[in-house]
Amino acid sequence: MKNNKFVAAVLLPSFLFLFIFVIFPVIYGLGISLYDYNPANSKNVFLGAENYVRLLQDATFWKAVKNTFFFCVVAVVLNIAITLFLAELISHIRSGKIRVLFRAVLFIPCIAPMIGTSMIWKYGIVGTDGGLLNQILIFLGKGPKNWYLTEMPLMWIIIIYTLWADIGYNVILFTAGLSNIPKAFEEAAAIDGAGPLRRFFLVKLPLLGRTFAFVSIMTMANYFQMFAQFRVLAPKGGMHDSAMVLTNYIYRTSFQSFDMGYGAAIATGLFIIVFIVAMIQNQLMRVEWSYE
Amino acid sequence: MNRENVKRRKHGQKLQISIIAFMGLFSAVMMYPFIWMLLTSFKSNAEIRTNRTRFFPEVWTLKGYETALEKAPLGQWFLNSLFVTVFVTVIVILTSTLIGYVFAKYRFRAKKLLFVVLLASMMVPGQVTMIPRYLIIQKMHLFDTIWALIIPGLLSPFTIYLAMQFISDIPDSLCEAAKIDGAGPLRIYWSIILPNVKPLIGSIGIFTAMMHWNDYLNPLLMLNDKSRMTLPLGLVIFESQRSSDLSATMAAAAMMMVPMIIIFLLFQKQFTQGMTLSSGMK
Repeated sequence: MKNNKFVAAVLLPSFLFLFIFVIFPVIYGLGISLYDYNPANSKNVFLGAENYVRLLQDATFWKAVKNTFFFCVVAVVLNIAITLFLAELISHIRSGKIRVLFRAVLFIPCIAPMIGTSMIWKYGIVGTDGGLLNQILIFLGKGPKNWYLTEMPLMWIIIIYTLWADIGYNVILFTAGLSNIPKAFEEAAAIDGAGPLRRFFLVKLPLLGRTFAFVSIMTMANYFQMFAQFRVLAPKGGMHDSAMVLTNYIYRTSFQSFDMGYGAAIATGLFIIVFIVAMIQNQLMRVEWSYE
Repeated sequence: MNRENVKRRKHGQKLQISIIAFMGLFSAVMMYPFIWMLLTSFKSNAEIRTNRTRFFPEVWTLKGYETALEKAPLGQWFLNSLFVTVFVTVIVILTSTLIGYVFAKYRFRAKKLLFVVLLASMMVPGQVTMIPRYLIIQKMHLFDTIWALIIPGLLSPFTIYLAMQFISDIPDSLCEAAKIDGAGPLRIYWSIILPNVKPLIGSIGIFTAMMHWNDYLNPLLMLNDKSRMTLPLGLVIFESQRSSDLSATMAAAAMMMVPMIIIFLLFQKQFTQGMTLSSGMK
């Protein structure tokens, strides 16, 4: 259909809005990163590329880059492995009611805000005095530990927390994807003598193509932006910045030290990384075929 | 033959029981943090301090809930959260479907270019633009108002894209026929497009509502005054001010989460469908 007046009436304000709140901020951010910017200053000094030179030499920045990658890759891989396994198990349950029940229970942590559930973990699981982890240590005859003063263990705790809080989504998506695969494929493979493992990896997994691509891209994009659990469980970045991620580093630099020019430079760094990862994923995940 | 069938069925039953047992155990472990939260909220602080390892409260008390209700403007935070979430969700449903409809059903110049702009803005993570967005909100004099959370959220590239995909599936002939009958573009949108994409509306609604209800970063950046906060930020402030009062903190957390969990369990079928649709799987 054609109706230029109507199209213009809808799209002009919409794209103006997108410009103000999405596109302009990107440009604005690049601009700020060239200044020694503090909103309280009456005059902000132009620095040119100085913030970026500082960025390249900043050990905390590189540590945050490393940690962000480590967190994303480990958490996404584990998330997908676990959710595929759980979805496959659930899809084998014959009773529809029990299937629905398990799916719902696994989704409950996703309903609650991450900031709230990480607070429960802060005291109830990781807490030095009476947290579940230390109770287990004491039960095993070992002394309690202050997990907040550890390096790798704290990072792993945050990864496990994230998996706990987030697997519900992907379990739902994968169970839906698995139930969309026509039964005939699996039955044919079974008749040919393929066991359950081979049926899963060689028949169902490849047929899950589109769901798999969607889930991994969305989970990755999501995990790059994780913030709440790091604010609660490692607000200052943990021991020797071992749990410092880029989002928290941007926040701390810009809104606690009010060094916004430098914060904007870190944000540009994050943007470049997200962009490169998205490009690589797009290349890897070109699933054109489907079973429809 | 018959014997083999019986054997197979028995094996199948064993498998069913072991899967259900495993999943049951796994679910129980998953629920532990929530159970701990509830039990702690019913303990007194004295008990929490002296007896750290006891799982159930020795004496059940509502003191934590009393303190939380007294010291935290939970009702106000709840209303703020509700207002932001409902307002944004309703508008996002309308803007996403309207813009999606224009992209799906109309021919116009620069369509390809605008579509690329839309896709590109979908790729910009909110964390990257948090400093400029904060400054823009300040320049608009929206800082520390509830509108600082609402206005930037009124349009979402992801849900526009989702809506466009769904609306393209509605046959063009339906729209053409309505046009011949004299229906204007808005009339077509309201009486043909919207009624045909009800699952899409539910999906956008759930996705948007959950995102805004649980949002922590934006309120953290944009709000200062305690009375304007939403629940997630309020809980953090409450906890930081009363860090020795674990009983009240957990009571506040419980009051914030339990109602949503109950609503989810009541409508879980619609939730699940909505989540599945938003992944583009029909």
